[in-house]
Amino acid sequence: MEKKGWILPYLKENAKLFSLVILLGLVTAFSAAFLMFTSGFLISKAATKPENLLLIYVPIVAVRTFGILRAVSRYSEKLLGHHIILKVLSHMRSRLYETIEPRILKEGASIKTGDLLGVMAEDIEYLQDVYVKTIFPSVIGIFLYAVAIGLLGAFSWVFAGLMAIYGAILVFLFPLVSLLVTRKNVAKLKSRRSSQYSTLTDGVVGIGDWVFSGHQKTFIENVEKEDDEIYKEERRRSTFVSYRNFAAQCIVAIIVLSMLVWTGNQSMNGQVSHTLIAAFVLIVFPLTEAFLPLSDAVSELPGYEDSINRLKGLSLEQPDGEKDDEKNVWKNSHLCLDKVSYQTKEGQWILKDINLNIPEGTKLAILGPSGSGKTTLLKLMKGIYSPSEGSVSIKGRETARSKGDKQLLSVLNQQPYLFDTSVLNNIRLGKPSASDEEVYEAAKSVQLHDFIVALPEGYQTSMQEAGMRFSGGERQRIALARILIQETDVVLLDEPTVGLDPRTEQALLSTIFQVLEKKTVVWVTHHLVGMKRMDHIAFMEEGEIVMEGKHEELLMSSDRYRRLYELDTPFQLKNSHVKEKMIG
Amino acid sequence: MGKILFQLKDVKKVLFILTLLTVLQGIAIILQARWLAEAVTRLFEGEALQRIYSVVSLFLIAFIMRHLVKLIMTKVTDRYAAQTAASLKKDAVAKLFALGPHYAAKWGTGNLVTLLIDGTKQFRLYLELFIPKLTAMLIVAPLVLISVWTLDVTSAIILSLTLPILIGFLILLGLAAKKKADKQWSTHRVLSNHFVDSLRGLETLKYLGLSEKHAASIKEVSEKYRKSTMSTLRVAFLSSFALDFFTMLGIAAVAVFLGLRLVEGEISLMPALMILILSPEFFLPVRELGNDYHATLDGQEAGRRLLDMIQTPDFKEENGTIPHWSDKDLLTIQHLSVDHGNERKALQNISFSVKGKQKIGIIGESGSGKSTLIDILGGFLEGSEGTIEINGQELTHLKHEEWQKQLFYIPQDPHLFHDSLANNIRFYNHNASLEEVGRAAEAAGLRKVIDQLPNGLNEKIGEGGREISGGQAQRIALARAFLEDRSILLLDEPTAQLDVETEYDIKKKILPLLEDKLVFMATHRLHWMMEMDLILMLEKGKLVEVGTHEELMSRRGSYYQMVCLQMEGVS
Repeated sequence: MEKKGWILPYLKENAKLFSLVILLGLVTAFSAAFLMFTSGFLISKAATKPENLLLIYVPIVAVRTFGILRAVSRYSEKLLGHHIILKVLSHMRSRLYETIEPRILKEGASIKTGDLLGVMAEDIEYLQDVYVKTIFPSVIGIFLYAVAIGLLGAFSWVFAGLMAIYGAILVFLFPLVSLLVTRKNVAKLKSRRSSQYSTLTDGVVGIGDWVFSGHQKTFIENVEKEDDEIYKEERRRSTFVSYRNFAAQCIVAIIVLSMLVWTGNQSMNGQVSHTLIAAFVLIVFPLTEAFLPLSDAVSELPGYEDSINRLKGLSLEQPDGEKDDEKNVWKNSHLCLDKVSYQTKEGQWILKDINLNIPEGTKLAILGPSGSGKTTLLKLMKGIYSPSEGSVSIKGRETARSKGDKQLLSVLNQQPYLFDTSVLNNIRLGKPSASDEEVYEAAKSVQLHDFIVALPEGYQTSMQEAGMRFSGGERQRIALARILIQETDVVLLDEPTVGLDPRTEQALLSTIFQVLEKKTVVWVTHHLVGMKRMDHIAFMEEGEIVMEGKHEELLMSSDRYRRLYELDTPFQLKNSHVKEKMIG
Repeated sequence: MGKILFQLKDVKKVLFILTLLTVLQGIAIILQARWLAEAVTRLFEGEALQRIYSVVSLFLIAFIMRHLVKLIMTKVTDRYAAQTAASLKKDAVAKLFALGPHYAAKWGTGNLVTLLIDGTKQFRLYLELFIPKLTAMLIVAPLVLISVWTLDVTSAIILSLTLPILIGFLILLGLAAKKKADKQWSTHRVLSNHFVDSLRGLETLKYLGLSEKHAASIKEVSEKYRKSTMSTLRVAFLSSFALDFFTMLGIAAVAVFLGLRLVEGEISLMPALMILILSPEFFLPVRELGNDYHATLDGQEAGRRLLDMIQTPDFKEENGTIPHWSDKDLLTIQHLSVDHGNERKALQNISFSVKGKQKIGIIGESGSGKSTLIDILGGFLEGSEGTIEINGQELTHLKHEEWQKQLFYIPQDPHLFHDSLANNIRFYNHNASLEEVGRAAEAAGLRKVIDQLPNGLNEKIGEGGREISGGQAQRIALARAFLEDRSILLLDEPTAQLDVETEYDIKKKILPLLEDKLVFMATHRLHWMMEMDLILMLEKGKLVEVGTHEELMSRRGSYYQMVCLQMEGVS
C-alpha cells in the first residue's frame, strides 16, 4: 500500500500526461530548429531565382508555421507541465498528511514540532522543481538528440554517427561530469549555508549578549569568514560552469565546422542539393541551444537529496506499535484511572500506579514540576496513549476515537493552534455542523463577541491579520470557544495560562471556570493560582502522585506545598484587606 | 528599473568595463555572422572546400572570441556581484548591532536572518543577471540592428518594428497577469498556505478529533489551489508566449521578405544569410531579460531592503564619560518619554533617580512599559523626550560602551548559542578556565544537569544541540553572570515562565548575585518585591508610585490593588 518513492511512482501514474508534455517540448524545440532550417532553405532556394514562385511558397508557409507553432507549443507545454505538477503536488500532500496523521502525538514519533512539519510541507513544494528544472528538460533533450541523429541518418549514417559522438559530449558527457564535479560542492555548500543560518540566528537572537559582552566584532568577523568560504566554494562552481559552457561552445563550433565540410562535400558530389547547405548549418544553433541547459539541469539533482531523504525517512518509520486504541473501553459514568502505569518504548516508567476517581462535575488540579508526567497523564485520559497497565475509563462508552461519532473529552493546551482562516471558522472547527448563531453564543460566553464584532470585518476577519491583533489571552479565549462548541462533558486544561500576566491569567481563569462550571475539568498547572476553587488537587512527582487533597488540607499537612504557596502569595494580607477588595 | 544600481560602490567602473566587453562581444557576433554567411554562400556557389578555409577560420575565431568575451564578462560580473553583496551584508550586520535588540525584535528574527542570507543571495543574483543583460540590451541589440540596416533597410525596419510591439505586449500581458494575480491573491494565499497550516496545527486537529476527516479537506483545497493557480498561470504565461510569438514571427517575416526579394534579385544571398543569422541575436537580450524578470524583481527588492536597513539612523553619538558604578554615583532620569508611534506612548514622562548600589523593582502589568524601561536602561532604546543624567552629566541614551560594559542583562528566555555548554557559560569571559566555569555552574545550580549530560560541560547545546529547558537556560544565564562579575544587573522577568518549584530554586541562586550591585528587575512576580530597596510601579506607561514595599502597601494605591488582585487569585 505504501508507495516507495516520492518521484518515480508519480511518473508512472501520470505517464500519459508526462509523455504529452515531453512531446510538446519536442515540438517546441523542433519548431525552433526547423524555423531556422526552412528559413535557410527558403533564402537559398530563392537565391536560385526559381521561375515558379510556388517552389518557394511551401517553405514560406513552413517558416511561418514553425514560427507560430513554436510559440503555441511552448505555451501549452508550460501550462500542461504545471497542471501535472500541481496534480502530483496535491497527491503528495494527501499522502504526506495521511502518513503523518496517525503518528502525531504518539510516543516515539520523530515528528514533534509544527515547524518540522512545515519543513516537510515545503520539501514537497520544492520537489516540483525536480520536474520543471530537471526531469522535463533532460528527457526532452535526450529525445531531441535521438530524433535529430535519426533524421540526419536518413542522409548519411556515417556522418550521423560522427554527429552522434559530438552530440553525446553535450547531452551525456558534460552533464555527467557536471554532476560528479558539483555533487561534493553542492553538499559542502549546503552544510555551510545551514551553519550560516544558525550563526546568524545566534547573532540576531543573542544580540544583547553580543553587545554587552563586547564581542560583536568577533561575530562580524565570523560572519565574514563564513561568507568568504561560501564564496570560494561558489566561485569554484561558477568557474567550472563558465569554463564548461565555453567548452560546450567550442564543441558547437566543431559541429558547425563539420556541418560545413560535410554539406560542402555532399553538394560538390551532388548528393545533397546546394540549397540545403545553409539549412543544415543554421539548424545546428537552435538544436545545440536545447542541449546546453542539460548540464545545469542535472547538476541540480544533489540539491533535492535532503528533501527526498526526509520524506523517505518518514515512510520508512514504522507507525508505532501502540496497542489498539479501540480496546480502550470506558466503563463508568465518571472519569476513572485505575492503577494506571505507563512505560515508554525504551522501558522508562513515566507513570507509576496512578489511581484517580473523578466524579462528574469535579474540578481536579494536577500539580507538579515539568517532567513529572502530567502531560502523559492527560494523553492517557484523552486516549492518545494507552496505559501499559491498569485502565482509564469514562462514561461506560466505547472511546469516541474508535467510532469517530462524538468526542468525550476536549483539550485546551498551552498554545492552541489558530488556523489561517476566519475567526468564525476557527471557532466552528469545534463542531463543523454548528450554525453561525451557535458560534456567536460560544464567543459571547468567552466574552469575545463584542470584541470580534468591533473588528472591521467582524467574524470574517482572517486569523492571519487578527493574529497581530489578538493577545495571548484572546487567542486562548478563541480556543476556549472552540472547545465549548464541542459540547463534551470533560475538559482537559494543559497549562492554558502559561506566559500570561497575572491580570489576564485571572480573567481567563475566571471565564474558564465560569463556562465550564457544569463540566468535569482536569487542569494541569504548575502555579498555585486558583487552587482554592478546585475540588481536588493531585501533586505529582516523577510519575507518582505524592500528595493529594483539597487546598486547605494540603496547606495544613505539607510543608512543601506551603512553601510553594508562599512564593505565589508572598505577603500575608490581612483577611479584611482581601474581603474589602473583593466586595469593592 | 535599476535605480538602486547607481547607489552601489564602484558600479560605474564595472559598467564601463562591461560596456567595453559588450561592444567587443557585439562586434564578434556580427563578424561571426558575416563570415559564416560568406562561407555558406561560397559553398552554395560551388566553390571548393579548400578555398574557403580562410573564411571558415575567421568564423571560428569570431565565434570563439564571442564566447571568450562572455566568459570574461561572467567572471567580472560574478566577482563584482559577490563583493558588493558581501559588503552590503557586512554593513547590514554591523548596523544591526548598532541598532540593537529592540530593532531586531521589531523585525523578527526570522525576517532578519532571511533578509541577511537569502536577501543578499537574491540581490547578488540580480546583479549577476541584470547588469550584463542590461548592457547587452543597450549595446548588442543596437549594434546588430545597425549592421542589418547597412545590409538591408527592409529587414531592419521589420526588426525594429517587432521589438516595440514585443515589449508592448510583454508589459501589457505582464500587467494583466499581475492584476489577475492581485485579484486572487488573498484566496490564493489561503489556499497555498492551507497545507502547511494544517500540518502545523495537526496536534490541535487531533485534540479536536478532526484530524482524520481533515484529509478530505486537504484533497479538496489542493484541487482548488490547482485550479486557481492554473487560471493565473494561463494569463502569466501569455507574456512569455508573446515574447516567443513575436520573436519567431519577426524572424519568419524577415526570412520571407528576404526570400521574396532574393527572387526579384534585389538582394544577394550573402547579406540575406547574414541578416537571417543576426535576427535571433537581435531578440536574444530582450528574451533573456524577460525570462529572468522575476528573479531580478526579487533581487532588487531585497537590495532595496538591505539599503534601507543600512540607512536606518541609529543612536546619536554621545561623548561624556561614565564612571565605574560605585556607591556615590547618581543616575537620574527626567521627563523621559518613549514613543513607538502607537496611539499611546510606551513611556510617558518618567522621572526617578537612583544613587549607588540599590535594588530597584519595576512592577506593572503587561503593556505597562516595564520592558521599555529595561530597554532604555540597557541602552537598546532612545527616549523621544527627556534626559538621562549620570552624576549630573546629560545623556540622551545609554547606548554607551562604558555603560554597557559594566552591565549584565538576564532576559526572560536567555539565548543559548549553538556551542558547548562551557562556551555558553564563558560567553562573556572567553578566557575563563574550566575550573572557573565549573564553579560558576555550581553556583547557578547546574551540577545535576551537567552530571546527566553525556559530555558534561562539553555537551553541545543551542539550536540543533541538546534540548535545554527554560529553567536550565535561566541557570546558564546565571552562571554567565557569576563568571562575569559586573556592577549593574538588569533582569527582565527572570522567573516568569518557570514552574513554582523551579522558580523557588532559582530565586535562591539569584539572591546572592544581587548583593552589592545596582539592580533593576522588571517582573510581575510579587515575591521579589520583598528583596527590593525601591519599587517603581508602572501603569500604562506612567510611573504611578515609587517607594518601598511597606510604603506602597500602606499607601493603598495601585501597588496595593495589584497585590490584592494577585492574592485573591491564589488564596
